[in-house]
Amino acid sequence: MAVEASLDTAQDAGRLPARPAPRPPARPATGERPAIRLALTGIALAFLVVFLFLPLVAVFAQALAGGWQTYLEALQEPDAQAAIRLTLLTAAIAVPLNCVFGICAAWCIARFEFTGKSLLTTLIDLPFSVSPVISGMVYVLLFGLHGLLGPWLREHDIQIVFALPGIVLATIFVTFPFVARELIPLMQEQGSEEEEAALVMGASGWQTFLWVTLPKIRWGLLYGVLLCNARAMGEFGAVAVVSGHIRGETTTMPLHVEILYNEYNMVAAFAVASLLALLALVTLTAKALLEWRYADELAATRRH
Amino acid sequence: MTIDIQGISKRFGTYAALQDINLRVGAGELVALLGPSGSGKTTLLRIIAGLETADSGTVLFEGEETLNRHPRDRRVGFVFQHYALFRHMTVFNNVAFGLQVRPRGQRPPKAEIAERVHRLLKLVQLDWLADRYPNQLSGGQRQRVALARALAIEPRVLLLDEPFGALDAKVRKELRRWLRHLHEEMGITSVFVTHDQEEALELADRVVVMSQGRIEQVGTPGTVYRTPSTGFVYEFLGDVNRVECRVESGQVLLEAGGTPLGGAADHAGPAILYVRPHDIELLPPDERLGAATVRLVHEVGPVTRAEVEYAGTLFEVVLPEGGRVPAQGELVRLSIRRGMLFPRERDPGEPPRPFLPFRSGGPTPAVNLGPHTAGMG
Repeated sequence: MAVEASLDTAQDAGRLPARPAPRPPARPATGERPAIRLALTGIALAFLVVFLFLPLVAVFAQALAGGWQTYLEALQEPDAQAAIRLTLLTAAIAVPLNCVFGICAAWCIARFEFTGKSLLTTLIDLPFSVSPVISGMVYVLLFGLHGLLGPWLREHDIQIVFALPGIVLATIFVTFPFVARELIPLMQEQGSEEEEAALVMGASGWQTFLWVTLPKIRWGLLYGVLLCNARAMGEFGAVAVVSGHIRGETTTMPLHVEILYNEYNMVAAFAVASLLALLALVTLTAKALLEWRYADELAATRRH
Repeated sequence: MTIDIQGISKRFGTYAALQDINLRVGAGELVALLGPSGSGKTTLLRIIAGLETADSGTVLFEGEETLNRHPRDRRVGFVFQHYALFRHMTVFNNVAFGLQVRPRGQRPPKAEIAERVHRLLKLVQLDWLADRYPNQLSGGQRQRVALARALAIEPRVLLLDEPFGALDAKVRKELRRWLRHLHEEMGITSVFVTHDQEEALELADRVVVMSQGRIEQVGTPGTVYRTPSTGFVYEFLGDVNRVECRVESGQVLLEAGGTPLGGAADHAGPAILYVRPHDIELLPPDERLGAATVRLVHEVGPVTRAEVEYAGTLFEVVLPEGGRVPAQGELVRLSIRRGMLFPRERDPGEPPRPFLPFRSGGPTPAVNLGPHTAGMG
C-alpha cells in the first residue's frame, strides 16, 4: 500500500503542483535559484536588445529621419528601383534553381550509397565555409575577360561577369546549401518505404516523386526556400565581386546601400536597407506563421 | 498463381544474406518465412517483390520469369512492416493510389475507383474511417489500411513483411485470425515474413524455417513442430531442452557425469538431445534411479512450468494441466518420453535419431546404472 501511495503522489506531482504537500515544494532538480535564473534571462535579453533589436530599430529610424516623403523619394529614385528589380529578379532565378539542385542533391545523398558520398556532403557545405568574396572571385577567374573561359565567351559575345548571369551564378553558389541542408536529414529520417510502396503499386518515378516524395518533404523544402530566398536577396560579398558596381545596371540592393552609404547619403542608404530588413522580417514572419499553423503536421513528419 | 524460387543468392558486401534458396509456393497457399533477424527472410520477400535484386537465381510467377520485370509491372501486393502509409493522404486516397496512378487507358473511372475503395475498406472493416489520416488511426487500423491498399491493385501475389510485428499482443491475435479468414475467402497466393513461431504455426499452410540465409526446413506447421529436421528448427520452434550427451552401446548418457537418460539405436558418439518441456514427465522417485530435484515452479497463465535438476543438468518441464504440482525442493523421477538425438561432429545434414525412452516403470534390466549420483549437489 505504501508503495502505491508514493507512486500516486509522484505521478500527480507533475500535473498538480499546487496540491498541498507535507513539505515545502522542492524546485525541479534541474531548476536554478531565482537569482541565477534572473541573471541569465537578463543577460540574454540585454544581448538581444543591443545586438539585434537596436540595430533594427536604428535602420528604420534612420530611414525615416527625413520623414515619409524623403523615404519614399529615396525608394523611387531610378537607381534604387533598378536595384530592387535586379535583386528580385536574381532571387527569382536563383531560388527555384537551388530548389531543384537542392532536391536532387538531397535525393541522391539520402537515398543512395555511393563512393564519394561524404565528399559530396562536405562539398555542399563549401559555400558556407568559404568566404563569399572568394566565391565571387572564382567566377571572375572562370568567366572574366582574362579568365579560363573568358576568350571563348568573348568570341561568342556572352557576358557573364559584371552582368546578370554572373550575379545569379554567385548567388546560386552562395545560397546552394540552404535547401539541400534542410532536406538531407529530413529525407534520411523519413526513409524510402513509402516510395517503395508507391513503386510496387505501379506508380512511375515521376508519379512517386510528385505524389509521395514532394508532399513528404514540403515543409522542409519551404523552410529551405525561405532561408535561401532571404540570403539570395541579402547576399553582398560574392555579388560585389562579380557585379562591377555599374549603377542602375548591376547593383543589387545590398550593393546599392553600400554605394549610397559611401556617398554619405544616409537617408537613402537606410531607406533601401530598411526595405531589405523588411523583406527579412517578412520571411521570418512567414516561417513563424507556417510553424504555428502547421505545428501538428510538422510534428508528425519531423522533429525540428 | 504459383511462385517458383530457384537458386536465389544474395550478398551484401561480404555478408551472404541468401544462399541458394529453392522454394515453391503453390497457388492460393499461405506460406510463412520464419526465422530470426538476419536469416534473410525479408530479403527473400523483397526479391520476390522486386525491391531488391538477386545476385543469381530466378523467380517464376506461374512459370514465367519475373526477375527481369519492373516491380511496378509484377502486380504484387506488399504490406510493409511499418505499413508505409502515405501520411499526407486520407485513408481513402491511400487505398485508391494504386488505381489512380494507372496510365489513362487502364485507369478505372472515378466512380468505379470510389466504389472499389469503399468495398475494400468494408472488407477490412474500416469504411467509416475513409476520411481520416494515417496518424489518426491505431496500429491495428493502419495495418488493415495497408492491407486494403495492397489488395486494391488486385495483386497476383500478396507479400507481407512482419505484418503484426508492431502491434500489441491482443490486437495481433485478433488480426491474425482475421487475416486467416480473409485469405481463405480471397485465396491469393501469399507469403509472409515473421520471427514469431506462434504466428507462423497458427497462420500458415506451410512454414519455411530460415537461418543464416538458408532454408532449414519446409513443411506444414505440424511437421516442422513435431519432427524438426535440424537442431536449429528444434530450438527455434517452441521451447526445448538442449542436452549435451553421448551415446555408448545403445545408451544415451549425459555428457557431464554420464548419467543414463534413455536409449538410442544406430549411433555412437557425442550427440545433442532435444526434448520438449511437455515431453518430460515427473514421477514419484524411484530408488533404482537417481532422484531429480524440483528447483523452481512457476505458473504462466494456464501452464505450470518447473525447473528440475537431474544429475547436475537443469531440465525445463511443463506439467500436465490438472496434475499434482510438486513443491520446490521435492525429489522426483525424471522420465523423458520423447526426444530427438542430433549427432555432433558429423555432417549437419545427417538425419536425427529418435531417442528411445526407458520402459515405464524403470530402466531396462540391461542398463547399467553406474554411479548415477555423480554431479548431484
